[in-house]
Amino acid sequence: MIRRRFIAVAIACAAFVSMPAAVAGADDRQAAASGLIDTMIADLQAFLATDTGDVEARSAEIDRVLSTYFDMDTITRFSAGQYWRAANAEQKTEYGTLFREVLCGTIVRNFDQLNGLAYTPGAISAKGDKFVIVGGTFTDTAGARPPVAVNWRVLTREGQPPRVFDIEIENLSLLVTQKQENVAVIRKNRGQFGALIEAMQARLDAPLHSN
Amino acid sequence: MKLYPELDGIGACRFAAGALVTALLALAGCSSTPPVDRSDARDRYEDANRKVFAFNMGVDSYVLEPVASGYRNTVPEGGRTAVDNHLRWASMPSTAINSTLQGKFENAALASLNFLVNGLTLGFADLSEDDQEVQREDFGQTLAAYDVPEGSYLMVPVLGPRTTRSLTGNVVDFVMNPLQVFGTSSTADAVRTAQAPVGAVSFRASNFDAFNDVKYNSLDPYARTRSVYYQTRRGLLEDRVADRTGSAVSEDEFDSLFEEAN
Repeated sequence: MIRRRFIAVAIACAAFVSMPAAVAGADDRQAAASGLIDTMIADLQAFLATDTGDVEARSAEIDRVLSTYFDMDTITRFSAGQYWRAANAEQKTEYGTLFREVLCGTIVRNFDQLNGLAYTPGAISAKGDKFVIVGGTFTDTAGARPPVAVNWRVLTREGQPPRVFDIEIENLSLLVTQKQENVAVIRKNRGQFGALIEAMQARLDAPLHSN
Repeated sequence: MKLYPELDGIGACRFAAGALVTALLALAGCSSTPPVDRSDARDRYEDANRKVFAFNMGVDSYVLEPVASGYRNTVPEGGRTAVDNHLRWASMPSTAINSTLQGKFENAALASLNFLVNGLTLGFADLSEDDQEVQREDFGQTLAAYDVPEGSYLMVPVLGPRTTRSLTGNVVDFVMNPLQVFGTSSTADAVRTAQAPVGAVSFRASNFDAFNDVKYNSLDPYARTRSVYYQTRRGLLEDRVADRTGSAVSEDEFDSLFEEAN
């Protein structure tokens, strides 16, 4: 237990030291985004190496990864689409909490699929003045599953540290999919933002289907 | 991830003609959903589509999911790969023709070569040594290349999501597929007939966990399916799927991001 905690602290320190600092200029954006992804992957692989399958430990790790590497505020806002502006402060806070819970739950539910995967970095390309796409491929070391192409959409704003904004798996954006689903729920309820919160709460309360 | 197979090749298109007629007849009896009631502006028949989606999910629960579960648990990986290879091979004539119509002559040549070489094993074994992957092209993509509007979003019974353009493309692919004239024996006919259901089971088995996660754990499986379909289709149309270094998403999607703050 102590050893695991020591490893976790060491990784956190290493991640902090090696994490790209605030993006200084346009030329540094791609390197900063790439460095962020490399650090995050190393961080996750270190956790997977000591993973015992404990759901609480996995949830805590995912929560930490989201806080450390992802721009959760911007992601949360984007995922509600144009209806974010219609929500009041209380709804925004509640939605942010639920959204994070749903996200963590989804990742934890599929956590076993991360085992046995090797990551190979791919091409890096800038998209406009705010995003950098960092490509990569996950390969099953046992060869049982086909390689999976992934694009990390990293937000690189001047003067701020880079943060992951979206993950595209096999050319499918997880964030855009979530946003369109959320907006559909709100629109089917006559634009009521509260309906989305209720649906998310109901989803969290319901027993999850496991494969 | 695709939630429904595009069901390449002739087998798929056997369903397509009937499904097109069924869908059009069904929609003819439905009025379009008023814009204010739509959860997505592109989905003008949303009320009817949601009913068809519920039917499709029933078919999935009672037929496809249990069969796909059995398929992936009993058929060894080599056997499943062989089936996938055959289904892909059967779509090569359509890809060759549509690549030519779109001016993608290199892809057309690759598809033709692949079809000829792998035809020795009816496509069950991949004998091609070319590292360059053939990019699937269907008549829906050809129509898009000629700026034909994509039309309405349709949830087609059994086949799943389509736009009127892609469904029309499925029918045309069926009609002009040269495989129709190959082999008149009962064996060849049986192979052709089996392609669509086998393709559906193979697709479902390959995406078993992802499909179930959408089906059972999402807030609105219908809306999620529609989103996945449009993203996947757009990626194909813009050749972003072929170019793995590119982003899957149009940058327009994020234009409003920083305007939406608070």
